[in-house]
Amino acid sequence: MRLAILMLLGLTVLGTARTADVRGWMGRSNTVRNVPRSVRDNPGAYRALYAGNPRYFGGK
Amino acid sequence: MVNAPGTPRTRGFNCANCGGAVELRALAHTRSVTCTTCGSLLDPRDPNVVILQEAARRESITPTIPLGTRGTWHGQPYEVIGFQRRSITVDGTQYSWDEYVLFNPFRGFRYLTDYQGHWNDVRTIRELPVVDTRSNRPTATHDNRKYTHFQHAQATTDFVIGEFPWRVTLGDQVVTDDFVEPPYMLSSEGTEQERTWSLGTYTPGETIWKAFGLPGAPPEPVGVFANQPNPYKKGANAGCTAFFVLFGLLVALFLLRMITADRERVFSSSYTYQPGAPEASFVTAPFTLSDDGTISIEIDANVSNNWLGFDVALINIGTGTAYNTDKELEFYFGTEGGESWTEGSRSGSMFLPSVPAGEYYLRVEPEGPAGIATGYTLRVVRDVPSKLPYAIALVCLLFLPFLTGWRSGWFEQKRQAESDYGSSSSDDDDDDED
Repeated sequence: MRLAILMLLGLTVLGTARTADVRGWMGRSNTVRNVPRSVRDNPGAYRALYAGNPRYFGGK
Repeated sequence: MVNAPGTPRTRGFNCANCGGAVELRALAHTRSVTCTTCGSLLDPRDPNVVILQEAARRESITPTIPLGTRGTWHGQPYEVIGFQRRSITVDGTQYSWDEYVLFNPFRGFRYLTDYQGHWNDVRTIRELPVVDTRSNRPTATHDNRKYTHFQHAQATTDFVIGEFPWRVTLGDQVVTDDFVEPPYMLSSEGTEQERTWSLGTYTPGETIWKAFGLPGAPPEPVGVFANQPNPYKKGANAGCTAFFVLFGLLVALFLLRMITADRERVFSSSYTYQPGAPEASFVTAPFTLSDDGTISIEIDANVSNNWLGFDVALINIGTGTAYNTDKELEFYFGTEGGESWTEGSRSGSMFLPSVPAGEYYLRVEPEGPAGIATGYTLRVVRDVPSKLPYAIALVCLLFLPFLTGWRSGWFEQKRQAESDYGSSSSDDDDDDED
C-alpha cells in the first residue's frame, strides 16, 4: 500500500516532468497578442519591451 | 490424586530458616527457591534443604507479573514460578532488567525479560552459535541467521524470588554478550570457560498481558531496545524501492525524449550588426512550424572583447501573437601574468515554451557597442528537449528515500547509541564490567 502510494506520487512527478519538457514550461517569453501586420514593413515600430520588463544591456 | 494434564503438581517442605511452608512447582527441576515467608534462598535438592542465602540482604520488589500467574504461551499452559532482577553498570550508570521464569511440566522452562517496557520471550538453545571475532564488531551465526554484537557486560543478580532451574544467589555475577538481529537477540552468559546461550524474541507487552490475563495495560516502552523491530523500516524499504524503479523510468523517459525529439531546424540565416545604422531592427523571411513544440532560437556571434544584445520576437503571421525573448552575448579574452583567459561565450540560445504550428517570422533588434560591426547567425529549431524538468524530477524523487528513510535511520541511531558501538558509549569494554 505504502509502495503503491509512493509509486503513484513518483509517477505524477515523472508525468509532470514529461509535460513540462514537451510544453516547454522551462522556457521564458512574454506573449503579446494582435501584433499589427505593419510590423513586417516597419520593424522599428514594434516595442517588445512594452510586453514585459525593460532589459538593460550592460557590457563592459 | 492425579492432576489434570497441564496442571503443575506441587511438593512442599519446610524452610530451614523459619520453618515456613515452601511449595515447589517445578519439582526436581528446581535448583533454588525462595521461602515465601522469610525470603531465604534454599536448595530443595539437598536432603537438609540448605539455606543458600538468608533474607537479610534482600530488598522487596513486587514483580509486574505476580508469581503463580498462569497463562497460555505458545499454545501451552505456563506458570510464572520465578523472578529475578539483574543489572549491569555502564559508564557508572546502572541498568536493571527483570526476568521471569515460566514453567510447563511437559515443555520445561521459558523466560520473559522486561527492560523499561521492552519484553523478550526467551528460550535457551542447545546448538552452539558460530562466533566470528575477526572484525571489529563480532558476529554470531545461529540457525542460518547472522547476529551482530551489541553489548558486552557483567551482569549482577540483585533480587530473586520463587523457583529457579539453576542455583541462584544474590550478587551472582556473569559475563554477558548480546548479539542482535531484530526482532531476535542471541545472548550468552556465564564465565569465559562455560557459557549458556539463549534466544530472545522481541514481544509486545500487549501480547504478554493478553496471554497471562494481566489487568490493565503494559507500561509504555521507554527508548529503543537492542532487538526492537524498526517500525519505520518497511516505509524506508518502500521508499528505496520506489526511488530505484522511478529513477529507472525517469532515465528511460529522458532517453526516449532525447531520441525522439524532432529538433527540426526551420530557419537559419546570417547577419551583420552595423552600429550607427538609422534602424537596427529588422524582420526575417517567413518560416513554417509544422507542428506544436518547444522553440530554441540559437545565436552564434563573432564577438571579440565586446558584446551584442538581442531583442527577439517570434511572431505568428496568422494570429499576430508575438513571443518575446532576449539574449546578450559577450566574449572577452586576454593574457594576465603570462596566462591566457577567456570569459563569456560566442553562442547562446533562447528557449520558448511550446509554440503552436503556423507561419512565423522573427523580428530582431540587435544592440551593441559603438564602432564595432559584428557578424552573427540566427537559427530557429523546433521541438527541442530540455534537461531541466528531468533534473528537477530527479531531485523530487530523491526526497522519497529521504522522507521515508530518515526516521528509520534515526531509530537505528538511537538503537546503536545503547550499544558498545554507539557514539555515547565508551570504547573501552572494561568500563562495562566495572
